[in-house]
Amino acid sequence: MSFTDIKQRDLRTPFAVNGVGFGNYVKAFQDETFRKAAFNTAYFVVLGVPLTLVVALAAAVLLDRGVKRFQALFKVGYYLPVVTSIVAIAVIWRFVLAPDSGLLNTVLGWVGIDGPNWLASKTWAMPSLIAMAVWRNFGSAMIIFLAGLQGIPQSVEEAGQIDGAGPWQRFRHLILPLLRPTILFTSVTTGIGYLQFFEEPFVMTQGGPLNSTISVSMYTYNQFGFGNYGLATSMAYILFVVIAVITFIQFRLLREK
Amino acid sequence: MFTHSIRRRLVIGSVALTATALALAGCGRSSDSPSTGSQATTTVSEGPATGNLTVWAMGTEGENLPKLVEQFKQANPGVNVTVTPIPWDAAHNKFTTAITANTLPDAAMVGTTWMGEFADLGALDPTPQGFDNSGFYPGALDTTKVGGTQYGVPWYVETRLVFYRKDLAAKAGFSTPPTDWDGLKAMAKAMKDKAGAKYGINLQPGGTGSWQTVMPFAWSAGANITGDDPKSFTFDTPEMQEGLKYYQSFFTDKLAGTDLPPNQTEAQFVSGQVPMFISGPWMAGSVAKAGGDAIKPNIGVFQLPKNKTATSFVGGSDFVVFKASKNKDSAWKLVKWLSDAKTQASWFKLSSDLPAVKSAWQDPSIASDPLLPVFGKQLDDAKAPPAIVNWEQIAVQFDTEVEKMAKAGQSPADTAKAIQAKATAIGAGGS
Repeated sequence: MSFTDIKQRDLRTPFAVNGVGFGNYVKAFQDETFRKAAFNTAYFVVLGVPLTLVVALAAAVLLDRGVKRFQALFKVGYYLPVVTSIVAIAVIWRFVLAPDSGLLNTVLGWVGIDGPNWLASKTWAMPSLIAMAVWRNFGSAMIIFLAGLQGIPQSVEEAGQIDGAGPWQRFRHLILPLLRPTILFTSVTTGIGYLQFFEEPFVMTQGGPLNSTISVSMYTYNQFGFGNYGLATSMAYILFVVIAVITFIQFRLLREK
Repeated sequence: MFTHSIRRRLVIGSVALTATALALAGCGRSSDSPSTGSQATTTVSEGPATGNLTVWAMGTEGENLPKLVEQFKQANPGVNVTVTPIPWDAAHNKFTTAITANTLPDAAMVGTTWMGEFADLGALDPTPQGFDNSGFYPGALDTTKVGGTQYGVPWYVETRLVFYRKDLAAKAGFSTPPTDWDGLKAMAKAMKDKAGAKYGINLQPGGTGSWQTVMPFAWSAGANITGDDPKSFTFDTPEMQEGLKYYQSFFTDKLAGTDLPPNQTEAQFVSGQVPMFISGPWMAGSVAKAGGDAIKPNIGVFQLPKNKTATSFVGGSDFVVFKASKNKDSAWKLVKWLSDAKTQASWFKLSSDLPAVKSAWQDPSIASDPLLPVFGKQLDDAKAPPAIVNWEQIAVQFDTEVEKMAKAGQSPADTAKAIQAKATAIGAGGS
């Protein structure tokens, strides 16, 4: 499909479809909005994935070490956004990010900062969506980290203690290397999910303002909606190839040595 | 407001689609003369309608239509009409899927901007002879025409006016509404300077559907979307630039804001922060809902201000019969009945959709309303975009460029040039 000029109306007369070779791919890369969408997606992934993993790991460590009695409660609390419908999340975050009466700007106002109109600002819309995505998604990575942490035998840490290593040294040199497979798994799954960045801009900003939050998935979706099946399919393939390449790199970097 | 804006968008979208459909249907035909080739493949016979009819309608129309159809059944005892309500957001997909799979109903309500697309797909039956087209508002009738052929009839209409707070206007020193561009500007300024408003008027700074607010100004300045050839765009003309320039000036003069949160139009109108906006008839109801009885006497409307003309935007829905229908004769009888002035007046009472037939506006339920007759007047000078298959795509580009103009200071000349370039690259569509 991606090598043809197929449009929605051609579904009735499939023989009218012409092959265009790599024409759709050329068209996609020449499209200013597609390039902007690619940039936005990269921005989102580069900032969003590490942030999500760090927050998730921190939460997992705290849960693992913390008071066991409240562990289940916190686990549920942190995981809740993952299972909440994006529609409900959007309502909450619109309230948080609202310019005048919003929670965030009210709090900033207490310390004398005049907060921007987060979602309507070219500079702040993307960071707002990243914050929202991190909050929404870190729970699933956290659960996996927690399982990974609990799979490390107590004796490893005790051995480190006997050798005189402090808590940070133990974490850095003992726990982290042992968590490597877990980190690989979470970074791959989070990375793939974030490369397909769609729901946050779709419900919060529709890609605006000035296309500053439009993502590759969302732009592809729009092109399908316009009936440009050939062009949209080639965009989907481009995204697929990028995801495959990045996942491959992650495996090379993080696999067990 | 959300459903309304979706509805508006869909309605507009359907108009563009109609154009598309025309172009598509033309695959074998458009090179001949389309007006003779596809006109009046059927004529409506005399006598009552019979048999089974299936009808699709969207949103609240779909819920209310069965009540109206009861009256049709009483007059035509031999007919059985089944109305299927369809949600607006699923409607376009459902129609295109049904067109591809040949599972269409006999007749349906269709958003005006879809007409081009459906006609392009060859799905619509041309309107047979015997319809009184002179009774419709001309702008609404235009939405049924794709490439010179009429498909279906206009069913209900909406157009845009300037809403304003009467009490604040008096405070600002305006006892009568302005009628020209300078007047509107002066009023917005006075609302800000004398009546304590944050912004004089709420204009959409780009974003989905903003072309509906921008195009009236461009039309009023004498601009057009296409030339005589519906495939060549005329976005880059001095007239279009004049309209864009006037629109932009509200933002550069800080009379309209780029930082207003969306969907707060009613609340800001009620609070007096932004006491003017341009929108359709449904806003009278939603403002009253937001402000209660106290606001009602203070809601005023006036026609769009005049430059060369005072043209507004017309939206709404058309009613069509599908080519694939097995009971076309009865289906057209139903459509004819729906476009009758009396039926349209009773439909208004059921749905508050404004009639597309002029004479229905004489019904006391409309004529005695404080606001509605102004909409009727504006409908005499209201336009829809031509039926271009790819209109939805072009509209998105239009909205993006308007956003750059309003928020990032892109010049009107560059904006016009960019819209023209992008529209040309997308093409009108069809074949």
